[in-house]
Amino acid sequence: MSGEAVPTVRRWRREWLLPLVLAMATSAWMLAVEGRQGIGRDESQYFRAGERYWGWVESVWNNLRQGHPARAFTRAAVDGAWDDNHEHPGLMKLLYGTSWRLFHKCDCMGGKRGLHPIPISGKPVTLPLFRRESSAFRFPAILLAGLGVALAYWLARRMLRPTPAAVAAVLSVAQPHYFFHAQIACFDVPITVMAVLVALAYWKSLRSPRWGILCGVFWGLALATKHNAWLFPFFLLAHYLWMRRGDLRRPRLPRVPLAFVSMATLGPLVLFMLWPWLWHSPVQRTQAWVQRHMQHEHYNFEYLGRNWNLPPTDTRLKLLRVTFPFVSTLFTLPVTTMALAAVGTVLFLRRRRRDGASVFVAAPPRALRPSWLRPGADVDRAGGAFLAIHIAGPIAMVALPSTPIFGGVKHFLPAMPFLCVLAGAGAGWLIQVAGKLAMAPRLRRALPLALAALLCAPAVAETQRSHPDGLGHYNLLAGGFAGGASLGMNRQFWGYSALPLLPWMIAHRPASNRIYWHDVLHDALIMYTRDGRLPLGIGDAGVGEQVVEQSDLGIVIIEKHFTVYEGLLWRAYGTTAPSSVYTHEGVPFVVAYERRKTRPELLAK
Amino acid sequence: MFIDRDYLRRRRVAVVLGAIIVLLAVVETGNALVAPLRTPSDRDWTTAAARVRAEFRTGDLIVAAPAWADPLMRQKLGDLVPQAVAGRMDSARYGRIWEISQRGARAADTTGAAVAATARCGGLTVRRWEKPPATVTFDFLTEWRQASMAVVHADGVEIPCTQGADRFQCVGAALGPELLEIDTTLRNGLAVDPVEGVTLALEFPAVPLGRELTVAAGLHNVWLRKSSDGKVRLRVLADGRELGTVLVTSTSGWSRQGYDTAALAGQTARVRFEITVDKAHGRHLGFAAEARNP
Repeated sequence: MSGEAVPTVRRWRREWLLPLVLAMATSAWMLAVEGRQGIGRDESQYFRAGERYWGWVESVWNNLRQGHPARAFTRAAVDGAWDDNHEHPGLMKLLYGTSWRLFHKCDCMGGKRGLHPIPISGKPVTLPLFRRESSAFRFPAILLAGLGVALAYWLARRMLRPTPAAVAAVLSVAQPHYFFHAQIACFDVPITVMAVLVALAYWKSLRSPRWGILCGVFWGLALATKHNAWLFPFFLLAHYLWMRRGDLRRPRLPRVPLAFVSMATLGPLVLFMLWPWLWHSPVQRTQAWVQRHMQHEHYNFEYLGRNWNLPPTDTRLKLLRVTFPFVSTLFTLPVTTMALAAVGTVLFLRRRRRDGASVFVAAPPRALRPSWLRPGADVDRAGGAFLAIHIAGPIAMVALPSTPIFGGVKHFLPAMPFLCVLAGAGAGWLIQVAGKLAMAPRLRRALPLALAALLCAPAVAETQRSHPDGLGHYNLLAGGFAGGASLGMNRQFWGYSALPLLPWMIAHRPASNRIYWHDVLHDALIMYTRDGRLPLGIGDAGVGEQVVEQSDLGIVIIEKHFTVYEGLLWRAYGTTAPSSVYTHEGVPFVVAYERRKTRPELLAK
Repeated sequence: MFIDRDYLRRRRVAVVLGAIIVLLAVVETGNALVAPLRTPSDRDWTTAAARVRAEFRTGDLIVAAPAWADPLMRQKLGDLVPQAVAGRMDSARYGRIWEISQRGARAADTTGAAVAATARCGGLTVRRWEKPPATVTFDFLTEWRQASMAVVHADGVEIPCTQGADRFQCVGAALGPELLEIDTTLRNGLAVDPVEGVTLALEFPAVPLGRELTVAAGLHNVWLRKSSDGKVRLRVLADGRELGTVLVTSTSGWSRQGYDTAALAGQTARVRFEITVDKAHGRHLGFAAEARNP
C-alpha cells in the first residue's frame, strides 16, 4: 500500500504541485512589481474597451431582470459596447473588465465618477483586492502569465525530466521583454500562453482523443485572444505531415486527425460565442477583422539605428530587414538561455542516438496502427520538429520584409516557450554531465537543484534589472540598456514610460494647466487619475503638432521618429534644455520641458 | 575525491562546454547586478557640466557621446547649446569641442580633432577636442534676408516673391528659416515646399566665397517622408556656373555636399539655389549652406 502511495505523492508533487508553485510565484512576482509599470497606449484602450464590455454584460443582467432579455442583444446594444476596439477579439478585454468590476477598491462616486466610459449609477460592491483600478484590470493577464509558466512546464515534461522542465518554465517567463508584456492588460503574452495551450493539447491529442476535442476549444479561445492564432493550424499541420512523413512515402495520405476536425468546427464556434461584435454580421465582420490585420500599416520602429516605417524596397535593406527577428532575439534573450537552447538543439538533433537519449523522457509508440482518434500512436511524435516549427514559424513570419515590425519582439513571443523547452533540454544535459562528474553522493544529490537555480539566475536577474523598462533592455552581448541604445535598437513604444515622471509633472504643473503629454494617450491619463497618480483636472493640451505651441509644460517620449516633437518644444518653449529626464541605467526614456520666459531668438544669440 | 577523473578524461569536451555555460551564467548574473551600479550618476553629470562651464568659450561646441545621452547633456548645459548650435549643419566651424563621453564612446563631431584636455568625472569623461576650424565667409541660413526669390516658370517668366519679416512669400510657395526634423535629427535650415512644374530660385547677389561651398539638404518630418515619394533637386550655381545638384528623397537623409570654389576664393559671386520637384505632395525641403575655407 505504502509502496504505491509514495510514487503517487511524488508524481502529484512533480506534475501538479511544482507547476502550481511556479505559476503562483510568477503571478506573485508580477503583482509585486506591476505598479511600477506605466500604462501604454494600447493598454489604456483595452481598459476602456474592457469596462465597456463589462457594461454590456451588466446590461444583459439588468434587461433580464426588467423582463426584456432580448434588448441587450439588439445590434445597437451589442455594437454600442463591442464596437469599441473591435480590431481585436473580446475575450481578454472582457476578462480585464470583469476583473476590474470584481476586484478594485471602488473610489468611483466622487469626482472620478465622470472618468468612466460607462455610467456609474451607484457604488458597486467589490472585493477590494487592488488599490489601483489598473491593477484589477491587469490581474487576469498576470494570472494567465502564471498559467503560461505551468503550461511551459507541462509541455517540457512531455519530453524532459522534472528539473529541466522546471528550468524551461522559469526561463520562459524570465525574459525582460516577455516579462514587460506579461504583466499588462494586453494580448501578447496571453496569445503566447494560448499558443502553448493549443500546442500541448495537439501534442497530447496525438495519442488521446479527449485532447483532440479540447484542442479545438483551446484554439477557439486563442482566436478570441488575438489574431496570431490564425497561424497555429499551419504550424500544427507542418508538424503532423512531418511526423507522418512515412505515409507520404508509401504513398498514402495521412488521416485527418481529430484535433484538426475539432479545430475546424469548435474553434470558429468558440470565437463566435465569445465575440458578440460578430453576432449580427459574422461573415462581413470576420472579413473586416482579417483585412485589418493583413493590411496593417507600418508604424515607426528603430532597428540598428534606422527608423523603419515602410517595407524596404532595395535589396540591401530587405536583407537587413530580414535579420530583424534573429538579431532582436540574439540581443534580447538572456545569453545563458540562448546557450542552453543551442545545446538543447544539438540534443534534439541527436535524440535518437543513444548518447543523448537519457536527457529525454521516453514515450515510445504505443500501437502498431494509427487511427484518426490517436494519429500519433504508432510513430515517434517528432518532438524536435514540433519545437522547431513553433520556434521558426512566428520568427519567420516577422522576418518577411513586408511584415510590419512595430511591435518588435512581442510579435514573435509565441516562439519563446518552445525555445525554452530546448533550453530546458540543455539544462538537463548539463545536470546529467555534472551528476556523472560528481563522486560525492551529497554533492550529486544537491547538484540538480543548485545547477537549475544557477542556470535560471541570469535570466531572473536580467528580468528584475530591466523592470519597468523591459522594452529597452538588451542583454550581455548587446551591452545592456546603454549598449542597446548605442546599437540603435528600439528603446520603447506605447508611451508607457511617463509614469516615473508623474510626481515631477504634478509638482511643476503650470498655472495655465496646459500640459502636452505627447504619446501618453488621454485614456492613459484618465486611468492614472482614477488610480490616484494624477490629480483630478490635470491639464491635457491634446495631441498633434499644433497643440504644442499652446502648452506650457510638455513631455516627449524618446523614440527615433519622435524627434520632431522635441523640436516643436524647443521652438515653442525657447529652450533646448529639458527640465527633467527620466532614465533607466543612464539611458533617457522621457524628457520634460517647461516654457521659459525668455524669447527663443534671444536664447539663440 | 569529489570528481570522477575517469569521466572527466572520457568526456572532456562535454565537461568543458558545461563549465563554460556555468561560467557564463555566473558572469551574466554578476553583470546584471553590477552594470546598473556603473551608470553615470546625476552627480557625475553635474560635475562634468561644471568642468565644461569653467572653461567654456563663446563659439565652443558641446556634445555627448554616445549621442543618445544628448538630452542629459542639454539638461545640464542646454543654455550653452542654443537652438542655433543644437540644430547645426555640421561641426566644421567649431575649433573647440567639449565632449562628455561614457563607456569609451566618441562623438562623430570630433573626427579629425585632437584631444587637448581630459578629465574623469565618475562614470563620465570630459574631453576638449581641438582642430583648426573652418572659417565661414558666408552663412546662407543666417543671411537669408540678403537674398531675393522668384518663381520661374517653364517659359522663363520669373515672378518675384516678397520678403516678409520671417519668410519669402511667393505665389503658391514660401521659404524661411525653420527648425526641421530631417533624418530624425533636428536641423536649422531654410524650409520650402517645392512646387511642381516651376523652379523656385533663391539668389544671393554678393557672396564672399571661400575655397568650398558646403550645402546640406533633406526632407522634413518623418510622417511626410513616409507618406510621399517625390524627388527634390537642389541645383547650386555660382555666377551662373553650376556647382552641382543635391538630389533629395525620403531616404537620402541630411545629404551634405562640398563644392570646390577654390577658383573663386576671396571673390564675391552671385550664388543661386534652384529647387524643383517631380511630385510635390508631402515634400518639405530644408537646406543650409555655408561658404567657407576648410
